[in-house]
Amino acid sequence: MIRSHFLNMVVFSGLVAVFFAFLTQNDAKNRMRVVLILGGSMIVLSLVLAYVMYPFPIR
Amino acid sequence: MSETMVEQAAPRARSAAGSFVACALAWLVPGLGHLYLGKKGRAAVFFLVVAATFGLGIASDGAASLIEERQPLTFLATFDNVAVGPFDLVGRYLTYGTIVYALPGEEGDPRRTRLVDRQRARVRSVTYEYGNTFLLTAGLMNLLLILDAFDIATGRKE
Repeated sequence: MIRSHFLNMVVFSGLVAVFFAFLTQNDAKNRMRVVLILGGSMIVLSLVLAYVMYPFPIR
Repeated sequence: MSETMVEQAAPRARSAAGSFVACALAWLVPGLGHLYLGKKGRAAVFFLVVAATFGLGIASDGAASLIEERQPLTFLATFDNVAVGPFDLVGRYLTYGTIVYALPGEEGDPRRTRLVDRQRARVRSVTYEYGNTFLLTAGLMNLLLILDAFDIATGRKE
């Protein structure tokens, strides 16, 4: 069981990126590109969103 | 010459029965539909990815959804869980100790109380939200795989 929120996000992003890479692309080079762009953007955008939301109180 | 090449490059369409078999196999085991259609590499990756996503969901205390008539979204969540195929039976058994798809009876029914208690035990886990996300994502992935197998079987996609 992974308790780290960040690690869960990285694993989730990786699985989803690999899934869509194989679903949408047929050659290895394009698949790798999709994994890097999709997986990377999921992680980076989540961190940016978390940073933007940081000043807002929970309640 | 060029027409022949175009014919060779075009994806081969299967009969309606073949398409149905591909979709049924894709539901039964993630990736099996693609294996049936000759896409061995993709089939292996899809199986591993969906199985890993589902396994992480169970390991993280995700709970299979139960239909509750007063909450329409539970129909969608349960449908999504069922989309992952027989894996869902394992998920339901581990969550509730039995194979059940809907909350039975009215408030106060002992069967209902037992199921709700088991569900609440999962909800209290700190990783419940992660687990549920993984479980629902595994179901959505397999739905896409079924549609993809259909597209390949009907010749819309290679």
